[in-house]
Amino acid sequence: MAIDGARIVRAVMQGSATRDSKGIIPIFGVYLSLNYAAYYNMLSFEFERILRPKPQVRAVELLIRAAQECSYATFHGIRTSSEWDELVRPMIETETDQIEAFAAIAVALGWGDLKIKEIVPHERLVIQAMSGYEADGYLQNYGKADSGKCFMLCGVTAGFMDLMYGPDYPDGCFTYRAQEKHCRAQGDPCCEFVAVKRIRES
Amino acid sequence: MDIDWRKEYTRDGHRVSLAGSPIIMHCHHFNINLQTMAEETLGMEGANLMVCAAEQASANGLRIILDRYPQIRTVKSKIELAETLHQICGLGLLNFRQVGPRRSRVESLSSHHVTGWLAKHGRRFTPGCHFTRGWIAGILSVLYEREYEVEETACKLVKGKVCKFVATERNHGD
Repeated sequence: MAIDGARIVRAVMQGSATRDSKGIIPIFGVYLSLNYAAYYNMLSFEFERILRPKPQVRAVELLIRAAQECSYATFHGIRTSSEWDELVRPMIETETDQIEAFAAIAVALGWGDLKIKEIVPHERLVIQAMSGYEADGYLQNYGKADSGKCFMLCGVTAGFMDLMYGPDYPDGCFTYRAQEKHCRAQGDPCCEFVAVKRIRES
Repeated sequence: MDIDWRKEYTRDGHRVSLAGSPIIMHCHHFNINLQTMAEETLGMEGANLMVCAAEQASANGLRIILDRYPQIRTVKSKIELAETLHQICGLGLLNFRQVGPRRSRVESLSSHHVTGWLAKHGRRFTPGCHFTRGWIAGILSVLYEREYEVEETACKLVKGKVCKFVATERNHGD
């Protein structure tokens, strides 16, 4: 059975419309919030802008790391949740189906129209997005960029590989690193993220 | 005025929107990681950046809803809308206890950011609800067409059972 993205979208939309008595949305093993895209974009892009005069503080690296650790913890929570067991696990037949399922959940969460372009198990993951919220937001508010701006999707790509091929949770985070090779904010036709194994300094 | 939030929570392909504004679903891991990154790297400036981003986003979001529902006119009904919106977004329970153009008091019995922070880091020594401060400031700015500073006078992340906020008109103090 292939990953049924439409079913995953329906489940996320249904689950995210249900709050507990404290106004919190517990779903897929995490607490979810629905928040304006403008909030995330302003926070990320202004963080980068503020730190631009201080090249010793690598803002882009920090933003990508924040997203990668999020991706690692979030999707670990998701894949150990009852919703995953009931809905997603029956769809998974091959090793790479799990990454397809992760990407389908990211689409359901509204992060962008992610497509897996290439998976080389243990080595390399390439994800493309024709319309992620970060590139959309950058173009809308700042115009054309001189470098990639999809920090969140970049970190998420590496986080997927950490979970799939890194050491067992919680020791595998940052086993992989990702770069945004193309970004719509720079004028490219799509955003493209490539995750490969990190070469650790001894 | 009842809003059918299920009808206002829609998607077109991968794009999700709530009452006309693009929204993104993120979990506590990302939200708290962003806060940690901003605070550790920029200190007070990082906290203020969160406040500013939340303020602009909540103000824009509320303005768009009010444009769609012009029959929501009174301050009381706008406050009810804001409290409901906060809850609909999974951000927790917010209670505007006392509201006025110069000074307002707001309490939060539960919040996404408090729940998320406690789950990831446990308690902290200083108030940490920067997002909520900004969110409140944005709502009040729409209600009164003025700008507000919001101080968190009690925070569940430090101790206690409720987060308390005092909003004062910017440049007016007490």
